[in-house]
Amino acid sequence: MTIVAKKLLALVGTMLAVSFLVFLVLEVNIQDVAVKVLGQFSTDDQRHRWLADNGYLDPFLIRYARWVGGFVTGHWGTSTYYRTDIMTLMLPRLGASALLGLAAMLVMVPLSLGLGIIAGIREGSAADRTVSVVAIVTTSIPEFASAVFLTAIFVFGLHALPGVSTMASGFHINEMVLPVAVLVLASAGYIARMTRASMVEVMAAPYIRTARLKGAPIGRIILRHALRNALITPVTVIMLQIPWLLSGVIVVEVFFAYPGFGTLLYQAALNTDIYLIEACAMVGVVVVVVTQILSDVFYALLNPRIAFGRAPRIKAAA
Amino acid sequence: MPMAERLRNNDGSALHPAVRDLSARLRSGAIDRRDFIRTVAWLGVSVASAEAVLGSAHAQPAEPVPQRGGKLRFVCVVQQMNDPALINWIEASNLLRNALEFLTYTDADNVTHPYLAESWKPSDDLKTWTFKLRQGVRWSNGDDFTTEDVAFNIKRWTAPDSLSPNRTAFAAIKAFETVDDHTFVLHLDRPLCALPEMLYAFTCAIVHRRFEAEGGDWPKNPVGTGPFQLIDYKIAQVAKFRRRPDYWGDTAYLDEIHYVDLGSEIATHIAALAAGQVDVLYRVTIAELELVKRLNDVKLYEEQSAQTLVLRMQQDQKPFDDIRIRKAIVLAADNAQMLKLAYRGMGEVSDNFHVAPFQPDYGPLPPLKRDIAEAKRLLVEAGYPDGIDITLELGNTQGRWEQDTAQVLQQNVAEAGIRLNLNVRPATEYWPVWDKVPFGITYWAHRPLGIQMLDLCYRSGSSWNEAHFYNPDFDAAVDKAQAILDPKDRSLAMVAAEKILQDNAVMVQPFWANNFTAAATNVMGHRGNPSHFYRMDRVWLA
Repeated sequence: MTIVAKKLLALVGTMLAVSFLVFLVLEVNIQDVAVKVLGQFSTDDQRHRWLADNGYLDPFLIRYARWVGGFVTGHWGTSTYYRTDIMTLMLPRLGASALLGLAAMLVMVPLSLGLGIIAGIREGSAADRTVSVVAIVTTSIPEFASAVFLTAIFVFGLHALPGVSTMASGFHINEMVLPVAVLVLASAGYIARMTRASMVEVMAAPYIRTARLKGAPIGRIILRHALRNALITPVTVIMLQIPWLLSGVIVVEVFFAYPGFGTLLYQAALNTDIYLIEACAMVGVVVVVVTQILSDVFYALLNPRIAFGRAPRIKAAA
Repeated sequence: MPMAERLRNNDGSALHPAVRDLSARLRSGAIDRRDFIRTVAWLGVSVASAEAVLGSAHAQPAEPVPQRGGKLRFVCVVQQMNDPALINWIEASNLLRNALEFLTYTDADNVTHPYLAESWKPSDDLKTWTFKLRQGVRWSNGDDFTTEDVAFNIKRWTAPDSLSPNRTAFAAIKAFETVDDHTFVLHLDRPLCALPEMLYAFTCAIVHRRFEAEGGDWPKNPVGTGPFQLIDYKIAQVAKFRRRPDYWGDTAYLDEIHYVDLGSEIATHIAALAAGQVDVLYRVTIAELELVKRLNDVKLYEEQSAQTLVLRMQQDQKPFDDIRIRKAIVLAADNAQMLKLAYRGMGEVSDNFHVAPFQPDYGPLPPLKRDIAEAKRLLVEAGYPDGIDITLELGNTQGRWEQDTAQVLQQNVAEAGIRLNLNVRPATEYWPVWDKVPFGITYWAHRPLGIQMLDLCYRSGSSWNEAHFYNPDFDAAVDKAQAILDPKDRSLAMVAAEKILQDNAVMVQPFWANNFTAAATNVMGHRGNPSHFYRMDRVWLA
């Protein structure tokens, strides 16, 4: 069986396992769904009738099987909170989060790689120390705190930026600034420090020292020789940021009221919207597994010593 | 001489005690001149004396003339509102309130006025109510508004298979009698003096008689009698309303109202207000007051409200089945301190019987005194000489001030040897269990009349009797009060019911919490509301 087929099978298996677990966990308080829909002042008999009418009283495995059958044929169900078809609800939200993630990446990747490289080339210099300290400080500050600080400064203090990013009157680039800034602040420091460490290690390697002694200019050394090796680790780490950008940004999206995947999952969880939670979980699993596969592929491309999926040619001595 | 002492009542009697407090609030800027005059007039003060006092104290500019036009942006979660009788949050009712109307209207001062019903008259025993509908009201699809519409609504509210909370609220309605196109009669199985107030509940918007026949999904077919009509609706995003030029009453000032969903984090709403992205907020809680006060071009609205926290003990659960334990907790509680620390004193102290001094049918009882020694003695008598361990459940459904209140109570009762353990759940996890936990904090929203709460929450057999308080004497006292129409007369009968609640130590109900909202300073004609019910037809943008 080819590597790709094996990975895809693993993906399907993971999705099944996760979906079953999520269903199981939500099953414990199935009454909650009726309370969320009918309100806290509904009576027990009203809730019971709603649950019966909407199929929630059928046996657990039958409901799960029904859901799996619907999911694979593209019928993801209807959201009890939003009252619309889940797939039509989900796609624009995914797009919005993807846009936010892309914008964050566009800022974060050059910034963190650049800072990491600068810090790594001159280990121990003032630039290195500054980058390291700033990186540690920004990584330590959680997103909800930096969101509040930035809003206090730029919205309440300077009146320079909008307070919320609903894109209610169309797309405005200035509504992207604060959410992207918070995301960048949260992860750029970590990537910069990984890049720095990787860069330091590579710059100390013998072949770099040889190139320097041969008189090659430092720019050429970095671009031609050092980067390709130094970037292996940072690139894989950056790939792994992608799943985080999809789900970990809940805090940022909710704080700035950005209509993305994060706010969708947040509302679904708060309102025990079972089928929407399941759909979001499935999307999350797919994104995580696919980015991990891609990360493996990139790693193999960057590092010629790694053969993707093939058994090693050199057998151990008998 | 202080301002309050220069005011005079119309009939020369002593000023109502609330007048002094109102004067203080006027001086501090919490209410404006117009609200002050309106409220003191309602309390019996001569408007001439009020205006004379104010005229000499401040040189007020003339009231600005309303202008037509503008698009108002209102922050409010945009929830499902397919069926106006099935909405379960007040926010959805505020959206509907622009296009749909109610039989009656209760204003922010708890006075009920005619609305779609022009007048009503109860029988002497308050079991038969005859309503006359307003003539000349038209639906937005051109149909006339008639008794048939009201019949359709009330019958579906009270149907046995109705999923609406109206079924519980209007359980007393036994028959609907159509007299003619604009007259109907409601036959009740017990007296209900608060029927007009109940008809302005947030689930009581009147829909067209063919609502169900035409799909039962209001946003898809938004027929209404109100001053605005729905032009756009995307759940969890935005809802837009436009002024109707063919409205039966005074046409509204605003061209459009845009309800923008920014989620439920109030800090986010305030950021949007500060940045000028929105004009009006739905509500602000005590935690955000300081932030709002610091903003330029933003006005904070404060309203006295009968919203409150009820820390109720279920009388059929140990150890609360022993009245001595309940009394010990109540005696040890310091209600005034809870108001001061948890809500910054912005409200009124209450004495645990769920009727507020500013409700028209309030019957005064002597104030409670805290008594630690007696609480300890009761505990010993009940068999707990070394104190008792109790758990209080809460969900902070309205904000952190619920937990702050609980923490003050924790310290209060610790002095009597009661070790109170707080179990805090996320708000959405609390609603499924609010009426099932033995000792829990429930938030109750404002009602205009005291009798409504006593009837809804403490009568035997009521679905919302979370304290499991079954007391035939109390039921009889409430029935007696229900049969008295005039609030002032009823307040005398209320004393009996209130005293039974208080003597039975049903709950700690420490204070009435004022409620707050905020808007940009160019929003005129807006006012806060104790129930957060906002009518927008008299609001305009300067």
